[in-house]
Amino acid sequence: MKIMRIASVSMDAVLKHKIRTFLIVLAIMVGIATLTVIVALTQGANKKIMQQINNFGPDAIMVHSGGGKMRGPATASEADLTKKDMEDIQNIDGVKMVSPFQISLDMPIKYGNKFTTSWVFGVEPSWQEAWKRGASKGDFISDSDNEQLSKVCVIGQTAAKDLFGEVNSIGENILIENVSFRVIGILEKRGQSPIGTDFDNLILIPFTTASRRLMNQPLYITQARVIIFNPLQSNVIASRIKETLRANHHLADTEEDDFRLSTAGEITKMVKGTSQTLNIFLWLVGIISPFVGGIVLMNIMLMAVSERKHEIGLRRAVGAKKKHIIFQFLAESLVLTFVGGAFGVITGVIIAILLSLSGKPISITWQPFAVAFLFSAVIGLFFGIYPARKAAALDPAGALSQK
Amino acid sequence: MIEFNDIAKSFTSGAIQTEVLKGVSFKVDNGEFVSIMAPSGTGKTTLLNVLGCLMKATSGSYLFEGYDIETLNDDQLSEIRNKKIGFVFQTFNLLEKTSALDNVLLPLVYSDIYPADASKKAAGLLEAVGLKDRIHYKPNELSGGQQQRVAIARALINDPAVILADEPTGNLDSASAKEIMEIFKSLHSQGRTIIVVTHDSGIARQAGRAIYLKDGKVEKEEVLK
Repeated sequence: MKIMRIASVSMDAVLKHKIRTFLIVLAIMVGIATLTVIVALTQGANKKIMQQINNFGPDAIMVHSGGGKMRGPATASEADLTKKDMEDIQNIDGVKMVSPFQISLDMPIKYGNKFTTSWVFGVEPSWQEAWKRGASKGDFISDSDNEQLSKVCVIGQTAAKDLFGEVNSIGENILIENVSFRVIGILEKRGQSPIGTDFDNLILIPFTTASRRLMNQPLYITQARVIIFNPLQSNVIASRIKETLRANHHLADTEEDDFRLSTAGEITKMVKGTSQTLNIFLWLVGIISPFVGGIVLMNIMLMAVSERKHEIGLRRAVGAKKKHIIFQFLAESLVLTFVGGAFGVITGVIIAILLSLSGKPISITWQPFAVAFLFSAVIGLFFGIYPARKAAALDPAGALSQK
Repeated sequence: MIEFNDIAKSFTSGAIQTEVLKGVSFKVDNGEFVSIMAPSGTGKTTLLNVLGCLMKATSGSYLFEGYDIETLNDDQLSEIRNKKIGFVFQTFNLLEKTSALDNVLLPLVYSDIYPADASKKAAGLLEAVGLKDRIHYKPNELSGGQQQRVAIARALINDPAVILADEPTGNLDSASAKEIMEIFKSLHSQGRTIIVVTHDSGIARQAGRAIYLKDGKVEKEEVLK
């Protein structure tokens, strides 16, 4: 095959001009490595965001007591949601369930001579379904625990580790603000919330026990998790909840909400918003670096063409057509960019893995490889075509007379 | 086989037009050994470029093996050069860092047909020019005379209709020059058509016929043997 013979001429040139090959491969490698790291980082960040959104639950709407723009859970002192609010929300079309709970942040916990602080949640059994999370060991809080104001708790794994180490703690008694609770279960592990709080540093106690014994607040509810049937209706249902609560709380049109709602969509926006600027910047760098590599390629190839005018003239004299010369030089550029791209993607993956060791979320899938391959091809063609055409356009007699 | 009819070639540089060939006419028959004797500055290089299909004439007609060269496009001219013409240059023009064998094979890279026994054929040609034990040497490991012999083997690889040599002995000492001319003579005796362009009358007179060029025109022709 003629095309294979010419391609082997290109390979030959790549192998024989070692310094030129080294420089071009290095330039492309740096560019593609940068791009690979950036793809791995942004993919990793996106994956983390998606995980966090899934942790929040696409079918969930959180109702927080207290207005304002603050994010995060409401505190017990702000509690202003009522039982009626819960019932009315439950009656909104499309709502599957409402699971109210009380939160007390950073409660002092004691076990023997060990202390820690943890979030304490007062919950009903519906909490399990609302959060898709139950006890991984032992029992969860039951209806009868709620009816009897039992002093029992289900403990998150971070809190468990802080207090008991690796010891199986079911049946032990801990003090929450000097009230003794018996551990009846260990909560399933969950990880971090979208805003970075540890979802495993918490202790669940019965809702009624929390309201009356711990927080002394029997009438109000700090927070509720609403689960809807169709995640796509999230915004519509959120605005209905808003109307219902404004009506229930007798808010005039001029008054601000005294509650806050958050949906998965909003959480997504919030988390993505902060990373967007950085992402744009990263992508810019990621695209510019291979581009610079391409400019280096074009420069060196142009030099090669002018250095090798005589060779081009000779090839034309013995019968090379213009297209053969174009192909020869373009193939050289492509071989160089692909070799550079291959080294680049390997280097990039190694750097990404090193970054992940220092805790950066990265994701290495087929994408960095596809992006590297695509960019190498585009750079090779885009920056290689001009020198190749220049070589082919040389007048054979004139090129041959060059020494 | 070669018919130059009133070939003229001029070059334009800005507003200045220089006429280099001013109506050159001659014929070369199959199997002839012809020298074109042209002192420097008489359009020797231009004549060679037109003759070698490396450039087209400004006017006149050039018939080569039945082809009207002036009507062919760039790709067709490339094919003529590839299949019909074997070039031998003053400066040898071998590819550096490339073995004698691969240099001989160079024209085949651009041929439509690459014979299965190409390497064997190339090695045979190198043997025929006396380089049997040098086929893997690179140009910088060969003497000038040896390099020119590689170039002759390269010119022969595609069995061309004509061998076109441009001052083939210009860069060689007299002993090597003599050897190269002997090779041409022996190729001629095998029936090959050879055209040697030179300014050296000693070389020109070794051909069967000499065509003298002066001021862009044929001054005279002389049958030598």
